[in-house]
Amino acid sequence: MTLWTGPTYAQGVIETAGLPTEASADVPALRITGLVKDYGRVHAVRGIDLEVRRGEVFGFLGPNGAGKTTTIRCILDLLRPTAGRIEVLGLDPRSDGVAVRQRIAYVPGELRLPERQTGHQLVAAIARLRGGLPADRERELAERLGVDLSRRLRDLSSGNRRKVALLLAFLSNAELLVLDEPTNGLDPLMQHEFLRLAREAREAGTTIFLSSHVLSEVQRAADRVAVVRSGKIVAQGTVEELRGRARQRVDVWFLDAPPTAELALLPGIEDQLVEGHRFAAVLSGPIQPLLEVLARHPVVTMLVEEPDLDEAFLDLYEAAS
Amino acid sequence: MNAVGRWLELVVGPFRASWRAGAGWTIAFVLLVVSTVAFWPAFKGSTALDAAFQALPQAMLEAFGLQDFATPAGYLRGGLYEVIVPLMFAAAGVTFANSATAGEEDAGRLELLLAQPIKRRAFLAGRSVAILGWIVGLAIVVLVAQLLSDAAFDLEIADSRVISTVVLCGLLGTVYAGLAIAIAGILARPGLVLSVGLGLSLVGYLVAALFPLSDVLAPWAHLSPWDWALGGDPLVNPAEAWRFGALVVPALALVFFGIVAFERRDIRSA
Repeated sequence: MTLWTGPTYAQGVIETAGLPTEASADVPALRITGLVKDYGRVHAVRGIDLEVRRGEVFGFLGPNGAGKTTTIRCILDLLRPTAGRIEVLGLDPRSDGVAVRQRIAYVPGELRLPERQTGHQLVAAIARLRGGLPADRERELAERLGVDLSRRLRDLSSGNRRKVALLLAFLSNAELLVLDEPTNGLDPLMQHEFLRLAREAREAGTTIFLSSHVLSEVQRAADRVAVVRSGKIVAQGTVEELRGRARQRVDVWFLDAPPTAELALLPGIEDQLVEGHRFAAVLSGPIQPLLEVLARHPVVTMLVEEPDLDEAFLDLYEAAS
Repeated sequence: MNAVGRWLELVVGPFRASWRAGAGWTIAFVLLVVSTVAFWPAFKGSTALDAAFQALPQAMLEAFGLQDFATPAGYLRGGLYEVIVPLMFAAAGVTFANSATAGEEDAGRLELLLAQPIKRRAFLAGRSVAILGWIVGLAIVVLVAQLLSDAAFDLEIADSRVISTVVLCGLLGTVYAGLAIAIAGILARPGLVLSVGLGLSLVGYLVAALFPLSDVLAPWAHLSPWDWALGGDPLVNPAEAWRFGALVVPALALVFFGIVAFERRDIRSA
């Protein structure tokens, strides 16, 4: 068991920052092994394995119903896994729940806040439960997120309620932020502000587990990504690696006739089209074999469309289904 | 200091959240007690009413607490403490418990709370204390309203009898609150908690009131918490100490059961 020497609080003032110590830096922020969660005959999670390193932003991508929220609720010990093991900052959320939750902050996807309380009252209540939150940072975050904490939560729009939840998460100075669809209902300006806050938190050493189905958001924020579908991880890697797995459209203009026989033998090439000296195709996987063929023939110009994560994501889904 | 603040939040938070319901119950209890006692001068020493009641079977009179209606103890028993006040305490206990536990969970409002560094058992224990706080508060309200009304409308009855009767009614409320917490500990279904809690409150009354009318069923009347609380006619006779214990122990056992069940299950999301 790891001895935690992270943030401690006293009378609303954070005494130390939430940076991992040298002793704890080797322990991953999150390690999930063989996680299974069934609801009777419904298999919500069918064996998820993943590891989130300290200080990274980890994107957890998947469509609605893929098992993202179920996985997150198991991490927080709100759900009890059917099988598998979860370690959060080296601790078991079941047996060391209080210690784990002291070090993590959570923004639920389906946000339900006490409607009769004001934002200030909610922040004060959570501060008492967490042993204190920094009041000066509360004001700063409220200004940055543009939320009025003096208003009753029931009088706030869903977007503003989400800002309150985000404020609570970033205010906590937790070592691990678990954010489930954090920008749901936020306008583009606030989505941008959220990304800034996430980057700042990451720079301060905080790990972020970012669950989302908004690909562009994950693409901009995440260091590494896991794609989940039907309760299983179907791909995992850096954003660049996922992008590399995406299909990309390639157009090549040769000086002479295209070497179609050679090109047809390339792995992952499909939808080939030859029009005079032009060769077009869709390429899956690495581009290196194509470049090797092109190096042996005079090429006038070529165009390779940069694949984005949307494309990679959809390809993965099509492959998995 | 942090631990104290945490505990205060776990108790004071849900207590404060129930203030509307608490205010409603307070008004209802005060109006009921004061308006009932206000009619006492009209019934005081009325032989005609007693004579009219005598036409009914004795067992029926006892079932509804209407014997000796022209005496102070008989009037309070028949008008308030045989059925209405204990039933209101039971209903208050069930509804407070339901809204603080299953109702909140069903609405998805426990998600953020239980993601904080608190134990589930501390969370539910804190809510149980808050519910107990409201029942104690209502018992004090009823007691004060009763004693002041007695003095104002010249209803002469020993304060000790009134105190023990109100306390027993309050404890009956905690038993049914405990039952609601136990059910909510197993399942976050507010409809189920309410229907089973209120239904068993009514069944408890019927068992204690009607079973004694049958020679065969009479011994089973002692299974009802209503019989433990009010079977000794505490407005007339000094209440035995075991009756208090007989209500406290199952109330605590039910809360404990609810906490154990709550610790083991999944938390429902919105």
